[in-house]
Order: sequence, then C-alpha cells, then structure tokens
Amino acid sequence: MIRFDQVSKRYATGQEALSGLSFQVEPGEMVFVTGHSGAGKSTLLKLLAMIERPTRGTVTVDGRNLSTARAGSIPRLRRKLGMVFQDHRLLMDRSVFANVALPLVIAGIAPAERARRVRAALEKVGLLSYEKQAPAMLSTGEQQRVGIARAIVAKPPLIIADEPTGNLDPQLAAEIMGLFDALQNVGTTVLVASHDLMLIKRTRKRVLVLDHGRLVDDVPATEVRS
Amino acid sequence: MARVAREPATSRTRPRRVAAWGEQHAWGLVASLRRLGGRPLGTLLTVTVMGFALALPLTFALLLGNLQRLGTALGQTQAISVFMKVDGHAADAKALADSLRDRKEVAAVDVRTPKQGMAELATMQGFSDALKSLDYNPLPYVVVIRPVAHIDAGEAAKLIAWLRTQPGVDQVQDDGAWRQRLDALLAVGTRAVLLLAVLLAIAALLVVGNSVRLDIQGRSDEIGVLRLVGASPSFVRRPYLYAGLWYGLAGGVVATVLTLLLEWALSAPVARLAASYGGRLDFGGLPWALLALVPVLAAALGWLGARLVCARQLRRPE
Repeated sequence: MIRFDQVSKRYATGQEALSGLSFQVEPGEMVFVTGHSGAGKSTLLKLLAMIERPTRGTVTVDGRNLSTARAGSIPRLRRKLGMVFQDHRLLMDRSVFANVALPLVIAGIAPAERARRVRAALEKVGLLSYEKQAPAMLSTGEQQRVGIARAIVAKPPLIIADEPTGNLDPQLAAEIMGLFDALQNVGTTVLVASHDLMLIKRTRKRVLVLDHGRLVDDVPATEVRS
Repeated sequence: MARVAREPATSRTRPRRVAAWGEQHAWGLVASLRRLGGRPLGTLLTVTVMGFALALPLTFALLLGNLQRLGTALGQTQAISVFMKVDGHAADAKALADSLRDRKEVAAVDVRTPKQGMAELATMQGFSDALKSLDYNPLPYVVVIRPVAHIDAGEAAKLIAWLRTQPGVDQVQDDGAWRQRLDALLAVGTRAVLLLAVLLAIAALLVVGNSVRLDIQGRSDEIGVLRLVGASPSFVRRPYLYAGLWYGLAGGVVATVLTLLLEWALSAPVARLAASYGGRLDFGGLPWALLALVPVLAAALGWLGARLVCARQLRRPE
C-alpha cells in the first residue's frame, strides 16, 4: 500500500529531514511512526499527503508513484487519502454534518447518498446525535472524532493521522486508537504518527522508529510489549 | 490486496456530474455569503465605496446628457444674420431671400430693410439722439435666417459658406456658433466621462480585489483544509469568486440607486433653468437600459477583481 524507496528530503533551509528512508506497509496494515520531535515524522506524512515532494527516492501509494504525479492530479489523489490532524482542523463555522460531508461534496456524491454516508461515519465515531451542532460546542475529544469521521467518510484506502491523540487524556486517546483499530479490521491501511509510547505499547501494532531522518527500528506487532 | 469492497468515489453518469457541479456551486455560493456576512462592516464599506465610485461617472453622464438637450432646445431660437453691402441693391436681398426659401435646412427667412433697422435702433435708449444727427441711413439690408431645428453643425457651416459667396453679401453672422462650441465642449466632456468611468472601474476592481484578498487571508486555515481533503483549485477559489460577484452586484445596485436619487433631486431645478431660457425642456434621465446594465457590469467587474486576486493569492500551495 505504501512504499518508501531510498527517500530523502532536504528542505530549502538545508535541513535534511529524511535520509535514505525505505519501508513498506501492506494493505490493511496499521503502523505507528514514532521518534522524538524533528525525527522526520511530520515530513513523512507531508510526503504522503503530497504537501512536499521527496528530494531523492520514490514514494509509492496504492501502486502510484507520488514523486512523478502532476500538480493537477494532486486533488484527485488526496481524495483517496483520509487525513486526521492533531488540531483536527474542522471548519468552525459549519455544522458537524457539513464538516463530515465536505469530502463527499468535493467528490460529487448525490445528497441522499451523502447524508447516508455522513450518518454512517458519525455513527462509527459515536457522534450521530451531534450532527447539527457546531464543532466549537464539542469537547476536544469529540472534535477529534468528527475529524476522524471526515477522514473515513469517503472510504479512502489509506488513513494517515498526525499525533491524533496529542491533546487527549489517556482514556480518550485509547478510544481513538480503538477507532483506528476497527478501521484496520475492515481493510483500511492506517498510519499513525505519534510519540506517545505508552499508547503505542498498549495498542500493539507495528512500530517504525525514526531518528534524525533515518529508520532506526522496525518493530513487528508481535514484538511490541506493554 | 485485501481491501474492503468500496463504493465508487464518484458516479460517472452525466446527470450526476451536472448535479454535482450544481451542488459544488451551491456550496461555494453559501460559503461566499458566509464570508460577506462574517465581516458585515467590511462588506458594507466595500459595497459603498464601489457604489460611489460607479455613481460618479453616471452622474457626469447624466449632467452631460441634459446639457446636450438644453443646447438642442435653445438652438431652435438661434438665427443666422446676413448683412448685405451698404451700397447694395434691395433686389440682391430679395433674390437671396427667395433662393433661401427653397432650401430644406431653412425654416424661415425675414428681410429687414434699412428703414426697419433704423426704427428698431430708434427705440433703443441713447441711440435716438445720435441717429437724428445722421443725414443718411448707414444701415444695410439684413436677411435673417432661422434654420430648421435639427440642423447639424456641418449643414450650418455649409449654408454659411454658401451665403458668403452670394452677390451683395457683406458679412454673415452665425448666432448659433456658440452651439458648435457647446457641441465641441460636450464632445470633450463625453470623452472625459468615459476616461473617468474607466479609471473608476479600475478603482472599483482594486477595492473588490483588496476585500477578497483580506477574505482569503482570513480563511487560510479553511483553504488549507479544503486542499487537504482533495478540493480542486476551482472548488477552493469558487467562494471568493462569488464574493467578488456579490460585492460588484451590490456596488452596482448602490450606484444605480444613487444615480436615480440624483436624477430626482436635479429634475426640478433643471426644468426651471430651461424655462428661464424660454425653452421647454423635460429633464432627461439616463436610459433604463444603461441603469439596468450597471449592476451587471459591476458584478462582472467584481468577479474579475476576485479572479485576479485569487490567481495571485491562491497560487502557492499550502
């Protein structure tokens, strides 16, 4: 599903964020990417989201080489990707329903079908009764779940999450991880960047450890001990 | 690949594509109205400034149009006076008057004898004593021509040139010459109004552009989110183009209303002015077609301003 092949990223400032990074994630796999801040987690996600392009090497998602994708095809490629952010990035002046529906409006899904899918996604994150609310009225954990509903509503084959539990207490963080786990169980590939070691140990998934832009460890799920 | 069976992301049928296009426009339209409503004071200022900027050339056009009508109305009372040579014969004047009566650009011809002229002068204060000391009549025959009302400057000039070549003619005085000067002046005024309209249209473009730029800057987070969930550039841009369209349309409506108010306020004084010149003149407003066109053109202008700003502000990716 995801393949990094000798990927390096050097920013215009001269900072080498990733150097010679290679790994592969199978379809339906759930993977954590961890490392201290500045290790290259954010850059890795930016390459997947096509916010940045690699300086060297190739990034392949779902059989498609992102390094050679034309700028004009980026919106279409992003529609196959669900993104969850630490700060959830909801449109605060829109209802919960409108926020979750946004990717479907962009994809051109008919209103009836759209409503059905939005409700299904909200039900999955346990917020069905909140659809008319403004995001600002919800708690941080609930806002994060709306963000997840938005990421999964178009049923993308790949979900990437950047510190999705960064602002949450352990109880809520565990709930969010439970949601990702459920997604992975229905065949969606999930990649979560996090530095919350406690959470990673408890979730027991494969862990990629980055340090100074290099892959220093790749721990299979079976070897993660809590 | 062990992937879940997925519903197609987009149905490819033609009616769905058209409907999706409509739904996305509706989304942009609603988003644009939220933008305007989100900064009510800024929106009001932009619309008012644009309205005033567009009302200015319209007002000048209104005044110019009425000046033109006034000139036409007064021109009807203006005559061409042909002074015959002092030692000329009465027959020359009569022959000239007869040939003039056949010309289509002439409405009326009147021959005034030296005697009539003398009588006219005698009635004027201060002249009667001076005239008594004269032992002969120094006045010539005068042929007074009233051209038809709709005579244009070219026809009048041709007529005057022809008069100067006629036997026994000493001088031709065109009392309507001021009208030609007025026409020339009005031509200058028309050009000036057009230039002013172009300059103020550019100003309106910049005003809308600046407002849209502020809107875009205030919404950079939202723009980032839209891009990350896969919105196309035109989807991201659409709310701002609609916003520009609304600014323009509202500005155009304000300009039209302002102009109509001015028309209403000016009509009575202008009618009085015309009456004092003995002319009957109804105050003429701008044509309705033009007034209806103003909001449409202004909306197009607003859209263009927004388009230009979007091309700049939304060019770089996040």
